Amino acid sequence: MLSGKFRSALVIGGQGIRARKLRTFLSMVSLFLGVLAVVTVQAGAEIAERAMLTDVELQSGKDGTMMGYIPGEKGAPGIVEATLKGRADAVAMISSKAVIGEPGVRPINEGGMPFEYANRGGDYSGPSVYCDAGGVCQEQKPQEKKPDGQAIEVSMVALTGDIRPFKPFRPVSGNWLDFGSAPSLAPRIVLNEEAAKGLRMYRVPGEMMIEGATHHVSPQIIGVVQDGYGQPRVYLRLDELRTWMPAPAATSELDRFRGGGTGLEVYLQPGSDDLQQLLKAKLVGAGIEQNNLHFRVVNSKERMESQLKIMRLIFLGMAFLVLLIGVAGILNVGLATVGERVEEFALRRAVGMSRMLLAGIVLAETLLTGLLTAALAIGAGAAGLQVALMMFGSRFPSLQGTTFPWEAGVAGVIAGLLAGVLGGLIPAIRAARIPIATVMRA
Amino acid sequence: MTAPQVQVQAPLLQLNGITKVLKGQEEPRTILSGVDLTVHPGQSVAILGRSGSGKSTLLSLIGLFDRADEGQYFLHGNDITKLPERRAAALRSAEFGFVFQRFFLLKHLTAAQNVAMALVNGQGWSARRKRKQQVMDALEQVGIAHLAKSKPSRLSGGEQQRVAIARALVRQPRVILADEPTGALDTETGNLVVEVLLNTTRQGCGLVLVTHDHDHARKMGRVLELRDGRFN
Ligand SMILES: Nc1ncnc2c1ncn2[C@@H]1O[C@H](COP(=O)(O)OP(=O)(O)OP(=O)(O)O)[C@@H](O)[C@H]1O
Ligand SMILES: [Mg+2]
Repeated sequence: MLSGKFRSALVIGGQGIRARKLRTFLSMVSLFLGVLAVVTVQAGAEIAERAMLTDVELQSGKDGTMMGYIPGEKGAPGIVEATLKGRADAVAMISSKAVIGEPGVRPINEGGMPFEYANRGGDYSGPSVYCDAGGVCQEQKPQEKKPDGQAIEVSMVALTGDIRPFKPFRPVSGNWLDFGSAPSLAPRIVLNEEAAKGLRMYRVPGEMMIEGATHHVSPQIIGVVQDGYGQPRVYLRLDELRTWMPAPAATSELDRFRGGGTGLEVYLQPGSDDLQQLLKAKLVGAGIEQNNLHFRVVNSKERMESQLKIMRLIFLGMAFLVLLIGVAGILNVGLATVGERVEEFALRRAVGMSRMLLAGIVLAETLLTGLLTAALAIGAGAAGLQVALMMFGSRFPSLQGTTFPWEAGVAGVIAGLLAGVLGGLIPAIRAARIPIATVMRA
Repeated sequence: MTAPQVQVQAPLLQLNGITKVLKGQEEPRTILSGVDLTVHPGQSVAILGRSGSGKSTLLSLIGLFDRADEGQYFLHGNDITKLPERRAAALRSAEFGFVFQRFFLLKHLTAAQNVAMALVNGQGWSARRKRKQQVMDALEQVGIAHLAKSKPSRLSGGEQQRVAIARALVRQPRVILADEPTGALDTETGNLVVEVLLNTTRQGCGLVLVTHDHDHARKMGRVLELRDGRFN
């Protein structure tokens, strides 16, 4: 009985669509655009979110990571290093300044700024004033001027372990630091893209001068990574740095004001609270003020999502409007068709078709149309994405390896079904209400 | 719906005091007031009456297109006065065959597909081959089997009406209800169509024929005239 109904619906629906090919096609056109809009918005939002997330993770670390900022004073670097020794769930980054190139010259990008801005600021020759936390201000004597030369200034980041579980650096070329092997006498360094660019642009000699160190070293450059920073940075193993520099210099208040000196960042995996407590206790014991230890949990995704949400809502609203136009198209064609088929529908009921089945057939026709349209729109969306990636993919590295997100496909199918139901429901109800006696009065 | 064995003599259909009131925007208008009608298997009845006298309305009540406001309706002795619409659809499919003044063939379907329409209506499903046989038998019965593959636009009026009759016969109904089936045909073709309809009564089918043509009416077993909402 049920299969009889189902088969009847299939046969009649098929006959109906075949008899009205052009009309079916026309009702598909506007719906196609609507579903395509929904699919595009959904896919765009998914892709943007993924791309943004990888960028954000690069800069601020993976979600859930416990991150601590520690002032690099009173022997803090040594304490941190000793505490984290042998711990796989925590890594410290100790950054200070370094100059690569000719010794005793003013670096091209003094202050470690991106090379794009190097040599553009000119010289500031007025008096500079520094005020300490107590509000006491004093004028600084201008630093003695060094001659310009072939050197670049970078942030030098010494690592106690592999940072990549916390910050997913992307390899660009060469290798990443190997923390398993014995420390080498000449430090092995990995550049970020900006530092690599500086070396490439200015052909500086391969010597490195590190703040607080007494002599120069010739580092081996082993690779380049993308780390999400615009300033030039180099990464190296802390133990290799130790071999020719006993302890990183302590930061003076003044250095911190200038943005230089030693900075300490600690990354802890979620659930390493004991380690955090231990670290804090030791640092406070060494005389560092509790207020200067800042620990927080990275939740960049949450923050980013609330931003994306608004954008997505706006676009989804627009897509919904376009979809409504599509629904109106199906509805319009559906109503016209029912008007045209009044006699056919009355006749079908006269020969024994139930009201429900008749409504079901009308609805099935628009549903089929909606689904078919959705399939076409999803196909077009996926193909469009492929083409777009082929054309622009190289310009946006975070888009590399992007595939059509399944969420967009699901959204498209739902939109198609919804449009089919919304556009077909009223015609179906109209069709079911046609009095059978119409066949006697026509 | 088969009658119990004890009621062998029960009439095919029996209407008692059927009343139909039209409730439109204006004040209610009584179209039928107390119509009685009994039809036995193999019987044919002609219904005459002025235009607007309610002939089509009566036929639509018999065919379960619509419900009466008062009165009783028995089919094979079973009271079907207050039948839910779903059961009514099943009865329309199984018990009745309809022929109308206008033929109401679907123009995108062939003659055979138009006849098959009465089989593909959600009331049961027979195998394609069996359906094909049923359709060909029905077309044979009205003498146009050779036109099975033609679309209605290529058929004459008489041929089209015979396709419509085949559509009414294909489920082997117990009653044929025909509303002015010859109204759109010339005399000769009309006679032919009436002959075809009368033939069905020889196999035990009941026939109710609404017509304006007294010659056709005289060929039926009984002639009734509808006037002032009832037969007299
Ligand atoms: N749906 C309707 N709305 C309004 N009036 C209707 C409706 N159906 C029938 N009528 C009225 O009911 C009356 C009977 O109509 P019916 O069609 O039964 O007449 P008829 O005897 O078949 O006439 P004809 O010989 O012209 O076909 C008519 O006056 C008609 O105007
Ligand atoms: Mg009439």
